[in-house]
Amino acid sequence: MNRTRWLYPLGILLLGTMPLDVLARIKLTTLPVRERVEIQLDHPQIALVEEERIVPLVKGVNQVDFSWANTRIDPDTLVLRILPPPADQPLDAKVLSVSYPPNENALVWAVAASASGAARVRISYVLGGLSKDFHYRAVADHDEKALNLAQYLRVNNNANEAYDAAEFWAGVGERFGKPLGLNETREVQLDRFASVPVRKTYTTHPVEFGYLDRAQDKLNVPMHYVVKNAGGELGKEPLPEGKARIFQDDGKGGAAFLGEDRGKFTAPDDELKLYLGLARDIAVRRTVDRNERQRIAGNLYRYDVTLKYEIENFKDAPVTLDIAESVRQIRDQIRGDNGRDPEWQLGDGSLRTPDPEKSDADKLLFHVDLPARAADGQAKKQIHTLRLTLNNEW
Amino acid sequence: MTPNLTVRVLLGLFGLLLPLALLARNVDLATVPTRSTVQLTIYNSEDLTLVRETRVVTFKQGVNPLQFSWANTLIDPTSVELKFREPKAGLDVLDTTFPHDKPQMLYWNVHSDANREATIEISYFTSGISWAADYVAIADAEEKTLRLESFVRVNNRSGEDYENAQVRLVVGTINLVEKIAELAKVPVGRVKDEVNEEDYRELRQKAGRKMMAPAAPAPMMAMDMAAGAMQEMEAPKEIIKEGLSEYFIYTIEGTETVPNGWAKRLRSFEAAGVPMTVEYRYRPREYGEPLTRLYLLRNDTASKLGSTPLPDGMLRVFRANGRDGLSYLAAQNLKYVPIGDKIELNLGPDPAVVFELLKQKVYRDNLWFQIKGGNLYRKLGEDGFKLELDSQVAGWDEHTTYRQKIRNYTRKPIHVQIRREYPGDIVFRSRLNPTLHDFQTVQFETDIPAGDKAELDYEVIARLGYNQKQNRVELQPGEVNR
Repeated sequence: MNRTRWLYPLGILLLGTMPLDVLARIKLTTLPVRERVEIQLDHPQIALVEEERIVPLVKGVNQVDFSWANTRIDPDTLVLRILPPPADQPLDAKVLSVSYPPNENALVWAVAASASGAARVRISYVLGGLSKDFHYRAVADHDEKALNLAQYLRVNNNANEAYDAAEFWAGVGERFGKPLGLNETREVQLDRFASVPVRKTYTTHPVEFGYLDRAQDKLNVPMHYVVKNAGGELGKEPLPEGKARIFQDDGKGGAAFLGEDRGKFTAPDDELKLYLGLARDIAVRRTVDRNERQRIAGNLYRYDVTLKYEIENFKDAPVTLDIAESVRQIRDQIRGDNGRDPEWQLGDGSLRTPDPEKSDADKLLFHVDLPARAADGQAKKQIHTLRLTLNNEW
Repeated sequence: MTPNLTVRVLLGLFGLLLPLALLARNVDLATVPTRSTVQLTIYNSEDLTLVRETRVVTFKQGVNPLQFSWANTLIDPTSVELKFREPKAGLDVLDTTFPHDKPQMLYWNVHSDANREATIEISYFTSGISWAADYVAIADAEEKTLRLESFVRVNNRSGEDYENAQVRLVVGTINLVEKIAELAKVPVGRVKDEVNEEDYRELRQKAGRKMMAPAAPAPMMAMDMAAGAMQEMEAPKEIIKEGLSEYFIYTIEGTETVPNGWAKRLRSFEAAGVPMTVEYRYRPREYGEPLTRLYLLRNDTASKLGSTPLPDGMLRVFRANGRDGLSYLAAQNLKYVPIGDKIELNLGPDPAVVFELLKQKVYRDNLWFQIKGGNLYRKLGEDGFKLELDSQVAGWDEHTTYRQKIRNYTRKPIHVQIRREYPGDIVFRSRLNPTLHDFQTVQFETDIPAGDKAELDYEVIARLGYNQKQNRVELQPGEVNR
């Protein structure tokens, strides 16, 4: 087993400034064991390992060797801190210098001690090959109004180093202690959020989600579970990015697997959107119903554009459809891209009130309530229009 | 001196009074005077170290041949110089010979007017010894102060062991016309062919002499230091910092032994409780697109620093987590910081601060037309302006309104500074009390309490085409047009 080794020389090696190559010939060493290990995984890419060891020192100058093999310790990140001694055992110790022998993964600290005794030291270093990722398991209830969200941390140990006991900190959730063996992957549940309100959305967006059948002008209608990282236990910390497996309570004591998605980093108050696949029971046909231009002066035009949406809900339940559009994409579609942002006004179509929180100079988002299909199985077709005036185009 | 030492001074005994030509004989007898002291002056801007060593040599009256050789080292042969320290008078170098068959060797013929013991000083440049600074900064858990430790690391790859050497480190840049490592491989005869030897020597030693200035304190011997350690606890060696001309010289207290192949790292200084502030900056030209978190401090005495400029070096930033542990924050290459200058530690983006820019509205006005491709321009809406079919839009003002949203999920209030660059003829309209960082860069700032958010509205009016008369940003206080 490849172990990070502390080599602690006894008195015969306490020779102060004696040349280091002389020291290398005969060595008597003790191996102070790790008293405690903390692995800090709060940095997005880097794992910081902190070891606490009790090092017996003699009065005077001590040589303390630290060496490693087959591990990717970054020697430039090594920090040795001597922790304050207990009040009844005053021992003042200081690092005098660090020496780096040639062609070895090792270094030698020269540590001065005011008296003989044991010093508690903490050594920190960045270790390559120790990585982490987050993942989630979401189980929606039967009516898809709430879900139970479990957050897991997976620590992958390819660092060629084993830790019999280590305390981990991933930047979110609680600290936890676990052993971590060589080449081992350790997974722990970091947090669990019960009965989190979830909104199931059905969305059309020609630019983002495209068409189901372009020739027939039929839009894709993807479904998402949307969880707001706010309220209750949520919202206190960001949700790190990670793969989410999504299940639904089947009402018979089991859970049906609905799919999986890669959840993005979600700050507090932001929404975590998990893609569920395409809705096949909601049909949306989008056409450009009207496209007229009016010359204002010279080559300057105003365009009057109406988009028409024919919508059918074949589901047994009423749903809310989110219709999203990019005004720039509409302008580009009807007259070509001129490189300028469109200047527009909403006209008197049926879609007149965009969601102010989710709309901006380019994106428009409308919520449309769709009733369930009728008792005879027929879906009532709804017609919605979006009327836009595009000003000052040339 | 360790047995593998390769720099040797041989004092010919057998042929003391013989001409140099006779030294080529096959049987020689020589003595090897050991080094008494050695001083290394190491530059970090170039692969250059000035070595100054003293040896005690016994001379006989008359001509004394001295051989100096440096096999398997990286010494610049043109830089080797001999001086007499004690006595200064009565001894002269008659000539210097570089034998054609032994590239890493020279002979001096020294004339002495009496039988005497003398301390000689040999100085030369070598490459392969380098030093670099590095830093460790540990912020306290509250991020009000930090502890800054500065280290110097001496790396010996010169091929020579230097024992009990006084080490001086030069902070600053010097000019060299040729690399020492390359010169070390060239026989001195060729060097002479290419450039006048005297010129070379002058160039090489010019910078070095500047650094040699005051006499070095007498080096302590290893055993003295070991004995001192037994009396009381040994403290980390002090590194004495002195300014000289455009340079700073760090002299490591006492002596150091750095065997060939080894590196040694010593603490240059340590400053605890250095006050600092945390600032968030959006400066895409300097830090890239994300909002960047910085620790700001100053290299001055008010900040418990300022005893020395901070040489270039890698700086690693940690934060105490309040439980004896550390969090790794960032590593950055610190550029030279003069005394009194500010220090910026870039920690990268902070996931606890959300920074979003929303484009809210775009509209155009002040439209000007070029009539029939000629030099006549008319404004839309102007009296008498007709809808000419062949007139073209030639100039317009484009208004874009923005909302800068910042959410602070940290447990502390934050200060945010934003710089945005707008090329062209621009009016920046807002109530944000902005300033101009330069003619085309707007800067504004805000404070956001812990757990709170800010929404900063502004309007950018770009005068485009025919309307562009200037190339600068004009700040205009006013409400954003919605």
